[in-house]
Order: sequence, then C-alpha cells, then structure tokens
Amino acid sequence: MTYLAAAYGVIWLALFLFVFSIFRRQTRIDAEIDALEDALERLERK
Amino acid sequence: MSLSRRLLQILNFVALIAMLIALYMALIQAPDAINVDPSIRPAQRIIYFHVPSAWSSMLAFFVAFVASILYLVTKHVRWDIWARSAAELGIAFTVAAIISGSLWAKPAWNTYWTWDPRLTTYTIVLLLYIAYFMLRGAIDEPSRRARLAAVYGIFAFLSVPLTFMSIRWWNTIHPVIVDAPENTSKFGLSPNMLTAFMVTNAAFVILFVTLLANRISLGWAEERMDALKERLNF
Repeated sequence: MTYLAAAYGVIWLALFLFVFSIFRRQTRIDAEIDALEDALERLERK
Repeated sequence: MSLSRRLLQILNFVALIAMLIALYMALIQAPDAINVDPSIRPAQRIIYFHVPSAWSSMLAFFVAFVASILYLVTKHVRWDIWARSAAELGIAFTVAAIISGSLWAKPAWNTYWTWDPRLTTYTIVLLLYIAYFMLRGAIDEPSRRARLAAVYGIFAFLSVPLTFMSIRWWNTIHPVIVDAPENTSKFGLSPNMLTAFMVTNAAFVILFVTLLANRISLGWAEERMDALKERLNF
C-alpha cells in the first residue's frame, strides 16, 4: 500500500509541478508583455 | 476573455474530470490482480497510471518528432513551438513513469532499479531529451536554434521506438501489457482490469492534449514577448 500511495503521489506531484510551472511562466510573461506594450506605446507617442 | 483562453479553460476542466474518473477506476473500480502474490496486489494498481504516463511520454516525443520535420519543411515558428512544448511534456511524463515504475519494481522485483533493456533505453530517452533543451539553451539566434533543435529532435526520436520494442526484442524482466509475444513476461489483465486500463489511458490522452494546448499557448506568448523586445531593441 505504501508503494501504491508513493507512486500515485509522485505522478500527481509531477503533474501539479508542471501545471504550476506553466501558470507561473504565463503570469510572468503576461506581465512582461504588458510592460513592453506600454513602453512601446510611450515610444510611439513621442 | 479571448476564445482560445475560454477553450483552454473548458479543456482544463474536462481533463480534471477525466483524471478524477481515472483515479476512481484505478483505485476503486478495478479488481485486485489475482495472478500475483497477495502482498504485492495493491502495488499492481500502479500500472493504471504508470503505463499511461509512459505511453503519453512516447506520444509527446512523437508529436515533437513530427513538429520537428514540419519545421524543417516549412520554417514556420509554429512547429518549433509545438516541438519544444511536446518535448517538455514528454520529459515530465517520462519522469513520472520512471519513478512510478521504480516504486512498482520494489515489491515486484525486490529492487527499485535494474539495468534491464527497457529501463536502460527509457533512461537514454530521458537523457536525450534533457540534452535537447541544453542544446536549445546554448544557441542564442532563434532561427538557428529552431533549425538545429529540429534536426536533433528527429534523431533523438529514434530512441523512442527502440524503447517501445526493447521488451519484445530482448530478454527482459519487464512485463509486456499489450499484445505480448509468447516468449515474454506477460501481465494478465482480466476484462474488468482491462476496462480500467483503457479508461486511464484515455484520461491520460485527454490530459496530454490539455497540457500540450496550455504549453503551446505559453509558447506563443514567449514569441510575442521576444518580438516586442526586438521592436524595442532590448
């Protein structure tokens, strides 16, 4: 039973870490895109 | 909210439901394996997630292989995004399959690891795809990086059918679940076990498609960010 719990735990943990890493990267990139678009807009207005 | 983001949310929800059904089928609905020692029967349920993880990894590497070919033919950045997204997903599924396999092997073989042909070739696959990302990380110029990664991705994929066939071609203690030839170690599945096995495999395919769609969406965002940086001369 211990091995069963450990194996399922590992698979769900791997899945969670992958989803979390996608979410974290998406959030960071979205923020960076917003900042870059603002900077580009300011530059074009000048 | 854009249509693609809405579709992704629906897909995420469907994948979550599919995985909960898979969990129910694997842990509750599927009967105990009767052809093994009673002490290791609970551990036999590991196969319902171990095998789909392994198959999903091979599916992911196949998608990366096809996308690599399409990139070399079309030079369209879309296929580079597909290839790297699928390869990343393949690594995640491979790690899950190898660790869960080791946890099954301890009660079944009395060891976490042995240099069996299947385990060895699968480890080589994992290392080859880790090297794929090391190669990508070492090249700055985007089109050169995509081109070399595509060529590498095609050759790296050759290890995948080798791993799949290793338990059929060589003497191995790793069981063959589906379509086992006469001289191999069989893993008998009763009809109820087979149903659970098919459902968990289907759930993992849905999970794979969902994660790939999310990762591709992230890939497009990365491309957009790089294009903006280029316009601003970063």
